[in-house]
Amino acid sequence: MSPGREADISRAFVSMASSLAKGYDVVELLEELTTDCARLLDVATAGLLLADARGVLHLVAASSEATRMLEILQLQRQDGPCLDCYRTATPVSVDDLEDAADRWPVFVPAALAAGFASVHALPMRLRDSTLGALGLFGTHVGALNDDDLVLGQGLADVASVALLQDRAAADSAVVREQLQNALNSRVVLEQAKGVLAQLGNLQMDEAFAAMRGYARAHQLALSAVAQGIVARSLLAQTVLDHASARRTTR
Amino acid sequence: MRELEQLREHLGAAMVGADTPLAAADQLCRACVEMLEVDGASVSVVHEGATRGTFGSSGELSRRIDEFQFTFGEGPCLDAVRHGSPVLVADLDAATEQRWPAFREAVVNEGVSAVFALPVAVTTSYVGALDLFRQSRGQLAEEQISGGLHAARLAALPLMDLMAADVNWDSAARGDDGWEQLASLERVEVYQATGMIVAALDVDPVEAVVRLRANAYARAMTASEIAFAIVERRLSLDGPDWRAGSGGGSGL
Repeated sequence: MSPGREADISRAFVSMASSLAKGYDVVELLEELTTDCARLLDVATAGLLLADARGVLHLVAASSEATRMLEILQLQRQDGPCLDCYRTATPVSVDDLEDAADRWPVFVPAALAAGFASVHALPMRLRDSTLGALGLFGTHVGALNDDDLVLGQGLADVASVALLQDRAAADSAVVREQLQNALNSRVVLEQAKGVLAQLGNLQMDEAFAAMRGYARAHQLALSAVAQGIVARSLLAQTVLDHASARRTTR
Repeated sequence: MRELEQLREHLGAAMVGADTPLAAADQLCRACVEMLEVDGASVSVVHEGATRGTFGSSGELSRRIDEFQFTFGEGPCLDAVRHGSPVLVADLDAATEQRWPAFREAVVNEGVSAVFALPVAVTTSYVGALDLFRQSRGQLAEEQISGGLHAARLAALPLMDLMAADVNWDSAARGDDGWEQLASLERVEVYQATGMIVAALDVDPVEAVVRLRANAYARAMTASEIAFAIVERRLSLDGPDWRAGSGGGSGL
């Protein structure tokens, strides 16, 4: 392992650990998890799917805003390695998607068409339950090396702990409710991106960057900013103005 | 587990073929009575801007019981919506049961001993409740609660159609399985497009998703397809079909 990468890995864990210690915004933390995975592991993109009370997977974070990527992840409600990983609570590795068309007849052609060649899905585990799956998508054929698998699972485990804000919750109903809160926060975040994109004529990733920039500059939780925008207690124009001011001063 | 899977499938198919949103809600309520071992079921709407009241029921008695909540302005359904969580009352007649005195007296007189109110959400807002009634005392079994929660998810579909004032029901997705319709709505691009509609039309997110769905009907598209078209700016939100009254059926 190169010293630079080792330092990057340490930083990723230190950052998550300090978030856990200080208090954090779940959606923001999960977003960081997928970005860290895409950066640190030998994969192109990462996405995180959480299950609702019905066992249906929902996308809660993705390292890439590319529409195709989102499509691929969402397909996994019915069919795909992330869904199998969630159901079996064990990692599912597909070194070459070309060989897996029989196993996932809907998912594989779509993933190949989007330019992906391999997929590795890791379970989000918490004690006895499985919360969802972390999907790692590569653009070249081949297995993920052991170091990467261990590191990916480590990041996923930290994020699983973070999902449960009430650490003592043993009751499955409470666990589900907290997961639902994370899912709802994601819905509001996407709605807020839409509001900013429409008003500022932005792409979704630009809208997200504007919102995150505003949240950081004002030391607010990303979810709180998103909630404010959608409920219109925070003027979307204020966030857009802040973003364009930052662009011009840079 | 297998049984729960079957229950879900039955509930998902319960609204197929309904020719109005009200008929769809009635059919869902009757499916609840058949499958969840309750004696009655109803769906009520509690949302700003919509007419509050009972919308859909398994029968006349259920409708009357449900309407007591609106007559007296109190009841488990209203509480379930307010708090966004289920209100399960296994014994309405218990001496310790102090909530909703007027509602309680009225429904106990009608022979109801237990009420289970499950909130119904559209995106992240609670807009109504599915109420299950029993003549005998006692808690619902774990599996019946799960089934009830599934039914409450599905109940969002006719409620959205009710809120879309002039939805063109002829072209609506009434033939589709409820779960497929929900899956098409619960997607990232739908949430993003909803936000764009909020900004473009100056409406709240519930109204925005209602209009998105009505416009999808009018264009014979799924919610997800129309959302992609909006997010990718292939479909403008300036057209007349997006204005007041939910547009939908006209001009196409």
